[in-house]
Amino acid sequence: MNFAFSSDQQLLKNSARAFLDEHMTPATVRLLWDDPRGESETLWKEMGELGWLGLSLPEAHGGSGLGMVETAILLEEMGRAAVPGPYLPTVLAARAIEESGTDGQRKRWLSAIATGDARATLAFLDADLDWRPEATQARAEKRATGWTLSGTKRFVPWAHVADVLLVPARTPDGLTLFLVDPGAAGLTLEPAQVMDGATRLVTVTLEGTPVAGDAVLGAPGQAGPLLASLLRRGAVGAAAEMLGAARRCLDMAVGYAKVREQFGQPIGSFQAIRHKCAEMLLEVENSHSAVYYAAWALDAKAEDAELAPSVAKAYVGDAARRVCGEAIQVHGGIGFTWEYDLHLYFKRAKALEAMYGDADHHRELIVRRVAA
Amino acid sequence: MDLTPTPEDLAFRNQVRRWLGANVPAHELKTLDERKAWHRKLYEAGYVGMLWPRELGGWGASPMQQAIVQDEMARVDAPPAINGLGIGFIGPTIIVHGTDWQKQRYLKKMLTAEEIWCQLYSEPNAGSDLASLKTRAEDQGDHFVVNGQKIWTSSGPIADWGILLARTDPKAPKHKGISCLLLNMRQPGVEVRPLRQITGSSLFSEVFMTNARADRRDLIGRLNQGWEIAQTTLGFERGSNSLGRVTRYAIAFNQLVRAAKELRRDGRPLIEDPRVRAKLGKIYAELEVQRYAGLRVLSALNRGESPGAASSITKLSYTEFEKRYYELALEILGPWGQLVTAREEFEEIDTSSGEPGTWATAFLWSRAGTIYSGSSEIQKNIIGERVLGLPKEVRADRLKA
Repeated sequence: MNFAFSSDQQLLKNSARAFLDEHMTPATVRLLWDDPRGESETLWKEMGELGWLGLSLPEAHGGSGLGMVETAILLEEMGRAAVPGPYLPTVLAARAIEESGTDGQRKRWLSAIATGDARATLAFLDADLDWRPEATQARAEKRATGWTLSGTKRFVPWAHVADVLLVPARTPDGLTLFLVDPGAAGLTLEPAQVMDGATRLVTVTLEGTPVAGDAVLGAPGQAGPLLASLLRRGAVGAAAEMLGAARRCLDMAVGYAKVREQFGQPIGSFQAIRHKCAEMLLEVENSHSAVYYAAWALDAKAEDAELAPSVAKAYVGDAARRVCGEAIQVHGGIGFTWEYDLHLYFKRAKALEAMYGDADHHRELIVRRVAA
Repeated sequence: MDLTPTPEDLAFRNQVRRWLGANVPAHELKTLDERKAWHRKLYEAGYVGMLWPRELGGWGASPMQQAIVQDEMARVDAPPAINGLGIGFIGPTIIVHGTDWQKQRYLKKMLTAEEIWCQLYSEPNAGSDLASLKTRAEDQGDHFVVNGQKIWTSSGPIADWGILLARTDPKAPKHKGISCLLLNMRQPGVEVRPLRQITGSSLFSEVFMTNARADRRDLIGRLNQGWEIAQTTLGFERGSNSLGRVTRYAIAFNQLVRAAKELRRDGRPLIEDPRVRAKLGKIYAELEVQRYAGLRVLSALNRGESPGAASSITKLSYTEFEKRYYELALEILGPWGQLVTAREEFEEIDTSSGEPGTWATAFLWSRAGTIYSGSSEIQKNIIGERVLGLPKEVRADRLKA
């Protein structure tokens, strides 16, 4: 039993930190906030070359065959740097294609994703924003050749840069997952500006959008368990990013409290500030335990593998919001300015809180499991 | 990172489970003699003093094995071993700082609970500011004469020996004039008066020392080294593994769920109320996070790492959680949670204080954890200064020192 990272895992973490410190400085993040695409194509290709995009894909498809723990390590570092881009949605979509795709689908997408030539995302939420797969409202109708899809998918991350959308829809067989070309007829994308400039959320409208017969991912009517499993990975991934953002804010707050002087002393010498920092550390360390336990549980298919992701998302969602917010409080006025970088991480954590089910949603999932 | 138990751990767990199945007493242990007999049985099975070296009467087991025993005992609600302060903290302090004579004289009898130990640290005017303690030990050559008062002493009335902090150099700066002594509690100069807690029970006491005698051979470490030695004891106390405790919380949670299914409010079973469900989910998520954090600490201990000041994070985390837990539980249970006598099985739980009780008792007990062994505020000072490296506060006593 060992909770510490292996030397390979530590190496991955260190190299990710070094790479992002150099290539994703706060100044770079700010440039991308103002970019219409919102992400760096150069960075994406480099992430492919570093093996990050194929990290958890099989070696046959250009991947490294690693697990959720390694993915969480990278996502924590990305959260720490507030990296803009569709890393988590692409990794989730790739996982679905790898797990349930036909040979053709896997050949078409997996290597392209691993090299950085393709991006993907999961268009999950319908208009009434219910994270339960069984609540899906979009509909698919069978045609002579293929299907037509109708519905509205809200808050789809990075759909405007995706090469393929994974769209769940109801069919007479039940819930079915489709691979949809964002350029297909009857499909419109409407990106929305959100508080976190490094997050892009898109409304995807499908009006009789035709998709080919071989665009079904997995068995028709059987998408429920696959989607639930993707959402669990999404929850752990988002929690890992929030952990990174929170740790960055904690580090900044502690660093500032050591040098900022008031009343002739560093403010960190005052218990009012020091106790706040201690509470922040407590929540960050507990978040670390929650994220990596859940990631390990998924990799190991532990008996609580379906519960632990909800625990992590519920706990870290609350903790990261508090830690990032308190970091602003420790800084005082400077922390509230646009020029100071704290809000990059504060907003990133806040944006992720709502993704893949918020804390309330996951607490309800927990109660269904433990109090059934 | 791999949290899978090894085959050895699994085999050990099975062995412990079998032993407990065959040996856990069927009836509640009422007298001290009964509890001592059960303790002795646990010790002989190798489940007490597990981390102590074999040459000192311990079992040289791993922290993982100790955690397995604590976990399995919690699962079957086995009565705990006694002398916990002695075996967990005072004994290890003697192992680190004591003389060979002291180790030979005291350790084995501590392990077997032949002699019960208490801790004589806090005073009425030396709580968080422990180093300002006033109890004096005057050096008489072959012995010290002790005068003063201690407070919040657990196991005081049953203790045979105490580990004492007393001032031996009143002129030195306050941290530098304290010594650590072992005090025989069974002597005329020592009087123990039980204190009643808000739970109604009396697990603490006051201890009055009037010309009490401590032999020179019972000085731990050097004269005036007491403050440094006390840090060792408190470090053990705060850093101890919390997994057994989490298992007890989890068992209580299952009872809470049962209660929420059987009890009704607002015209429906509690469990159907979304507000109740949200609270249950919050408790369980936090409880699991405590478990994961406990595994993380255990894994570090098992690698031979010492948590040091980081043990303050563990202590702060579970004691603050415990307060939130029972607050939410009592909100869920409403007036049912206020009952002080249990009528149904789900109304009585292990309060993790050493005494069973109702939810009301557990709720009351949860106020103690964030005060004892260094209050939450003291833990945050330690975390701030020693883990985060924040500057020390300017304090009047430090200016003098």
